[in-house]
Amino acid sequence: MKKKIVSTLLCAAICLASLAGCGGGAQGGQDTASNAPAGTSVETADGQTETAADQAASGEKITLEFWNVFTGSDGDILRQIVDNYNSINTDNIEIQMDIMPNDQLQQKLPAAIATGTAPDIVLFGVENLAPYVSNDSLEDISDFWEVTGVDKSNILDNVLELSHVNGKLYGTPMQYNVTYLYWNKDLFRDAGLDPEKAPETLDELAEYAEKLTDPSKNQFGLALPTNVTYMQFLWANGGDADDPETNRNLLDSKENLKTLEWLQDLTVNKKVSPSSITGPEADTMLQAGQIGMYMSGPWQINGLRTQGIDFGIAPCVAGSAGAFSPAGGCSYVIPKGVDEEHRLAAYKFMQYWLTDDILKEWSQKNGFPVWSKTLMEDSEIQNDEVLNSISKATEIGRPYNLGYSLASQIDKDVMIPLFETVMTGAATPEEALKKASQAMDGVLAQ
Amino acid sequence: MEKNKGKRKKYVAHNQKCAYLFLLPSMFILSVFVFVPLIASFVISITNMNIFMKDVSFAGLKNFIQLFKDSRVSNATFNSLYFTLLEVPLQIGLALLMTVCLAKNNRYCKLLRSIYYLPFVCSMTAIGIVWSMLLDPNMGLFAYWLKQAGFDTIAFLKDPKWAMPTVIAVTAWKGFGYTLTLMAAAVLNIPQSLYEAADMDGAGGFQKFIHITIPGIWSTISFCIVTSTIGAMQMFDQAYVMTQGGPLNKTETVVQYIYDRGFQTAPYNLGYASAISVYLFVIVAVMTLVLRKFVLNRGEGADE
Repeated sequence: MKKKIVSTLLCAAICLASLAGCGGGAQGGQDTASNAPAGTSVETADGQTETAADQAASGEKITLEFWNVFTGSDGDILRQIVDNYNSINTDNIEIQMDIMPNDQLQQKLPAAIATGTAPDIVLFGVENLAPYVSNDSLEDISDFWEVTGVDKSNILDNVLELSHVNGKLYGTPMQYNVTYLYWNKDLFRDAGLDPEKAPETLDELAEYAEKLTDPSKNQFGLALPTNVTYMQFLWANGGDADDPETNRNLLDSKENLKTLEWLQDLTVNKKVSPSSITGPEADTMLQAGQIGMYMSGPWQINGLRTQGIDFGIAPCVAGSAGAFSPAGGCSYVIPKGVDEEHRLAAYKFMQYWLTDDILKEWSQKNGFPVWSKTLMEDSEIQNDEVLNSISKATEIGRPYNLGYSLASQIDKDVMIPLFETVMTGAATPEEALKKASQAMDGVLAQ
Repeated sequence: MEKNKGKRKKYVAHNQKCAYLFLLPSMFILSVFVFVPLIASFVISITNMNIFMKDVSFAGLKNFIQLFKDSRVSNATFNSLYFTLLEVPLQIGLALLMTVCLAKNNRYCKLLRSIYYLPFVCSMTAIGIVWSMLLDPNMGLFAYWLKQAGFDTIAFLKDPKWAMPTVIAVTAWKGFGYTLTLMAAAVLNIPQSLYEAADMDGAGGFQKFIHITIPGIWSTISFCIVTSTIGAMQMFDQAYVMTQGGPLNKTETVVQYIYDRGFQTAPYNLGYASAISVYLFVIVAVMTLVLRKFVLNRGEGADE
């Protein structure tokens, strides 16, 4: 019997070991990733001693480690800007950039901060600020404006606000975006719709989507991925998910029910969207010209241009309460524990990013909206067709649970399952809403 | 007599010391990668700890109480069991069936065995990506074939009803070559004289299979059952790559949920994730115990 227990324990241990092996493998991969820049920094240190005499005059070289999540084509443009900064800056700063998927960054960064091996600059989505700040893992950089002399009044308030948590500045804005409505003009023409006029209301959106759907051509009117949230629809009819200020659950409302019924009709009865697709799949189909309309961020623009799709960009549609669009963005942050010297060097790079030349390059190349007031007056920017339509769509931006530490859990446990259940027809909107509301209570009670 | 015994004891003791020396390297690796993490996850499971490691405090059984109220845990447990109960018999059954045909050492059988073994060598990630592309309802090859043949397309990995069976089928397809190789080797080891004796007694092919082949390779079969059951309960890669747990969490397994809670969803609650790991550990331990009692060593009686 004893033997049995021991062997059972061993078996179970082996099973857990392979579990650990799983995590270990991933971590091993990360180690090599983080070793690479570490290795190179040693090399530079060596190089430095060799040329110590030359360097003595201009001060010591400062190497900044910079992590970000720009795995797409925008990452290449970011790399160009950073490389250029490395060659032109006069402060002897060298930035070593490490791009990784968001999942990986979220696994590595907290551990790196806890063990004092964090990078000097991190660039990530502003939705991450709150959880990191509530765990005291980011540096308060409220003195940024004073130290660098950057004029903060030149930046739009709503953009600046995204980098604040509890009134303190934890990051500097890098880009700002809301969700737009993209439409394929060729498909509009084929369906007998005016290619220059995007739908403006929920009803129009539904009507257009139905007209644009043609199963025989594997063509869909409106792509609605199931792994994201659709706050723009809930808001349009005056509904909402929760109130971060008071921790209140706002899900169970007549307005939300009405919106969800409309959404289920659209997906289950009218079948205007490919069933259960993910965001990246929808991106691919949009670029392949199989999608009439799609709601997404500015990052679609480059792909659509490359594929030669004739597309338009419009604001999200309005409902009975108006039109809104969930806002987001990315900020440069400094992890806790970075020393004064590196912090000031990081400030210099952040300052460089906030110059109009760089912001202009970024906006023009990637199609991100402009939020520097002086740059908005720029004639080239004003004559850019894409940027023009974007700035209109950007006006209706509305923050959704930004700065709320439960935001990611609310999305994962409540909102995404709610939309997915409704859109796949797995339950009636009423049941789905009731269940989601209970789940929301559970999350908010934490 | 007495003296002799003492001498022997000394000899044994010396031998044992040597054995420990030989065990040392693997014990070291095991303790670093198995026992320490194992104990650590038990400890973390009774604390309030997130990935930032700030404000760690004792939680008692809070995480475990939360676990039993969490519908995603029961859903994930159901999915893991569903996967295991279908995938293991499918993989073993398929391998057994093929063994009957392929347990010969001619060139043709050897070639086929190698071909069936190929998917096992490939990485699950690569296989998962390729299959999800093939099975994609909008751009996949299968959807195209179904359409050409005049059927409605099935959204294999997107339909809540079909997603798990599809993941099971792909996993069985990947794994059965390995089981097949083990079993074929075992079958080839059965003394030919047994079959000759059965022939003389006038036994048919099916009878020979039931009364000679199966008992002859039972220890291999039971080994395969136990290892693939443990593997199946820890299923992660397939679902992570092909479905990300969706649609409607229908393919979210326990390990995936642990990963999600610990590393994907803020506030990265390591205490809770560890509690679910301990819960999975208990389930697997119980299953292993049951399998040992009823499957392993049955009909052999060599052990104990």
